[in-house]
Amino acid sequence: MVERFVSDPIDLPEREAGAELARADLIFYGVDHSGPSFEARVFINAPSADASSTRDDPNFAGSFCIFGHGGCFGDLGHCDVPTEPLDPFDVRPPHQLIPAAKTVIVTEPFKRLVAPDDTTMTVTVVAVVPGTASNAVLRFDTIRLLTYQ
Amino acid sequence: MAVAAAAGAPRNTALRHRRNARTLTAGQLASYRKSIAAAQKIDDDRGYQAWAGIHGLPLPTSCTHNSPLFLPWHRAYLFFFEKALQDRVPGVTLPWWNWTMRHAEGLPPVYTAAKSLDGTPNPLRSSPIPSRGREPGGPSKTTRTPGAEGAPPLPTLSEVNRVLALSDFMDFQSQLEDIHNAIHVWVGGTMGSVATSAYDPIFWAHHTMIDRIWRLWQLRHPGNQPPASLLDRALAPFAMTVRQTLSTNALGYDYAGTTAAASGPG
Repeated sequence: MVERFVSDPIDLPEREAGAELARADLIFYGVDHSGPSFEARVFINAPSADASSTRDDPNFAGSFCIFGHGGCFGDLGHCDVPTEPLDPFDVRPPHQLIPAAKTVIVTEPFKRLVAPDDTTMTVTVVAVVPGTASNAVLRFDTIRLLTYQ
Repeated sequence: MAVAAAAGAPRNTALRHRRNARTLTAGQLASYRKSIAAAQKIDDDRGYQAWAGIHGLPLPTSCTHNSPLFLPWHRAYLFFFEKALQDRVPGVTLPWWNWTMRHAEGLPPVYTAAKSLDGTPNPLRSSPIPSRGREPGGPSKTTRTPGAEGAPPLPTLSEVNRVLALSDFMDFQSQLEDIHNAIHVWVGGTMGSVATSAYDPIFWAHHTMIDRIWRLWQLRHPGNQPPASLLDRALAPFAMTVRQTLSTNALGYDYAGTTAAASGPG
């Protein structure tokens, strides 16, 4: 678990000249939600953003919130998410802690912060747990940028 | 949506209306508080604690989050909880907390006042958490830390309207769930954890608001609904499928800002 994460430069595909950007999404896959609840603030091209960076920061692109399970309350292995393929005859509800996918719509910030001829961008994610608890609650697998023209 | 009856009590009383928590009449508020207080005193499966426990602790955790069933499951949950309250006070309905308004006020005063209008302890302010429903070392009564430092702000009406404009159900549901998550984080305390949140009486007003927004979305996007592959999915532990949650009217309720009625000539 980390408090903040700065992505490697994400290669940006060439954009079609003259086409209007209708929507841009940043999708975070494999987000852990087993612990405390928190807000994850997302910044574009701001590798130094941290917990003191606010929504007023010019590079703030949006946020997602995790409603956390608050820990494991079962016996040993209770919160281990199964990794084997799902049995097609198993109609039980999925495991509660299957990591989440969170979509942040960043259309306007993307237009403002990423020039049409930019070839890369970075994404910084900063976790904030309200109050005095540790912010080291962030874990996810992948970031994906989706644009629609 | 607002409903007023000028000529007596509605003859068709089958359809009930959920109202804005901030604009309940004194009688409506007293009835709701009476239903919650009565349910909190019952220590079996009809009681408040049993219904709250379905969401998280005690195990199993039955709620659905980060799931395509998020909205349908919680609509079913509210429906059956409201029925349990109606067993205590016939006709009572769940009020909704409009967290897009009066941000400076924070939580609606009817949920924070120490006393009810009759001088008894306000059952909406906090609720007991039985030992089986507590996190290790957790409190025996619900707590809140609204708007603690670092909490996300309460959502604005324009943010909700942007979500309402999304026409695809899954897209809409995903963005609405994130707003929902932010409210849980903002309220904090008991509400800040999946395991315990439903013990806080504000949980029901929050989720009724979420359900209302889904209803508003359905009115704006008639015919748009969850993918066909979801419609016959069961919403355990409730005897209801996704398809059965799609019409609030079929479930016997709708949303209104306020309601008022008067008796007629008989």
